Amino acid sequence: MNGYLAFLKKEIFEYTKTYKLMIMLVVFAIFGITNPLMAKLMPEILGSLMTDGIVITIPEATACDAWTQFFKNATQMGFIVMVILSSSVLSSELSKGTLINLLTKGLSRTAVILSKYTCMVLVWTASIALCFGLTYIYTVYLFPSDKISNLLFSVFCLWLFGLFLLAVLLLSSVLSKSSYGCLLITGAIVVACMLVNTIPAAHRYNPISLAADNMGLLTSTIEAHSLYSAMLISSLLSLLCMALSVLIFRKKQL
Amino acid sequence: MGVLEINRLYKRFGHHEVLNGLDMNVPEHSIFGFVGQNGAGKTTTMKIILGLLKPDSGSVTVCGEKVTYGETKTNHNIGFLPDVPEFYGYMNPVEYLKLCGEITGLTKKQIKRKSDELLELVGLKNEKKKIGGFSRGMKQRLGIAQALLNEPKLLICDEPTSALDPIGRKEILDILFAAKGKTTILFSTHILSDVERVCDHIAVLHGGKLVLSGTLSEIKERHRYNGFVLEFENEKTASFFENIGELKRPSISMSRSENTVTVLLSDRGMNGQFLIDLLSQKRIVPLKFAALEPTLENLFMEVVR
Repeated sequence: MNGYLAFLKKEIFEYTKTYKLMIMLVVFAIFGITNPLMAKLMPEILGSLMTDGIVITIPEATACDAWTQFFKNATQMGFIVMVILSSSVLSSELSKGTLINLLTKGLSRTAVILSKYTCMVLVWTASIALCFGLTYIYTVYLFPSDKISNLLFSVFCLWLFGLFLLAVLLLSSVLSKSSYGCLLITGAIVVACMLVNTIPAAHRYNPISLAADNMGLLTSTIEAHSLYSAMLISSLLSLLCMALSVLIFRKKQL
Repeated sequence: MGVLEINRLYKRFGHHEVLNGLDMNVPEHSIFGFVGQNGAGKTTTMKIILGLLKPDSGSVTVCGEKVTYGETKTNHNIGFLPDVPEFYGYMNPVEYLKLCGEITGLTKKQIKRKSDELLELVGLKNEKKKIGGFSRGMKQRLGIAQALLNEPKLLICDEPTSALDPIGRKEILDILFAAKGKTTILFSTHILSDVERVCDHIAVLHGGKLVLSGTLSEIKERHRYNGFVLEFENEKTASFFENIGELKRPSISMSRSENTVTVLLSDRGMNGQFLIDLLSQKRIVPLKFAALEPTLENLFMEVVR
């Protein structure tokens, strides 16, 4: 427990000192501000491009458009930034040998894995919360009358998928020696999830539904309860990834 | 009972047999020089002691506790200095020692006291710079400070001096020598003069096992030649001594360089007394009369051949 807290403190310190935390927060803050703005301005930009003779009918922007931007940015750019920033979470410490010192001081390997995961989850939570908060404030300001359903639940699903992705990332970094290997394995698993999603029957249970069905939830074309099994599966898979990471790392030759 | 006991240790990487039934015993409060060529298996042995590598067979005990691979409790008794220690470049020495202290479970007060004391010892007390800007020697010294932080019963240093300049080397050796008495030091190296300077026990690793081990004086005693060095006032006397008829026999070999004569006696029945008698008989007073000491280098060459 000593080791876990001390190492968690070190991890957070590292995120702030190496600007990783700042990069995450800035990227997600930019998304948060631009999501509703883009939704609001896009029709006007397109409108200004219109010349005589061409008539494009552009529907009035709604809060829904702002949230479409939010889920699109977070699930694409947001996840990519997060995965790339975290891909060296273990490999850099192992290749440089900074971890050896601490392990030979009696730091348990389980504590290393758990505190690294905790820190990544904290950073992810802070980033998504910031992004959500900014988008929410601006959306309410720009589109005050629009009504949205299942918003919090939808964001929660996205957050849960982030947790799953980070657990997969950590397992990949335990399995591979380099940060590229870690990226490759994580990418392969995400692609595999996407491929599985082409089978309609699997969609209900696939973790990736948590990051794909968000708009459906908002427009009520998808019922909240249809995602419960995917949530359960994601949580179980995250736990499994964590357990495997710990077990494999404990037996790894360093 | 030794602080560190290694029994019948085997380890191979692929087809390469690194350790081949290694037995070693490090007594308490010794500075134990662990000598071997590059690639002899010194680092492998140390990593096994630290539970970082899994031995194929054999056992290691530290302070009476058995080392288990992976998570091992025995590391609480060990301080480790890797050959090229790496730290988090964004921390300063005090922050790094604080992290180490928290991991070992020291209280805030203890951490403060110990870090002050150790940074003083290794000469980094007023260093506020980030570790990222440290030279190799400074990193090595910080490495010693972090290794001694938890007052280990066994301090393991993996080639602590091999990458340093002569001044850096002397400083590290002095620090290690100062730590003697508080802890037992296992110290791997291939620099024999370092061993002679600080170690009291020595073991030579070759072909996966120890080919030579014991205290330094014991080993030298065991390998003493029946040879003497005589230094004379001038070349004329030296040359006169060299050509004395009594010394012209097959069991005596001599060599002279300027006014120094080296005499090797291969006849067991003959000793220094014979030479002294001869000197007195011929009424020659040498400037120096010394028994030939075996150098560690010669011994090393002999056993690893």
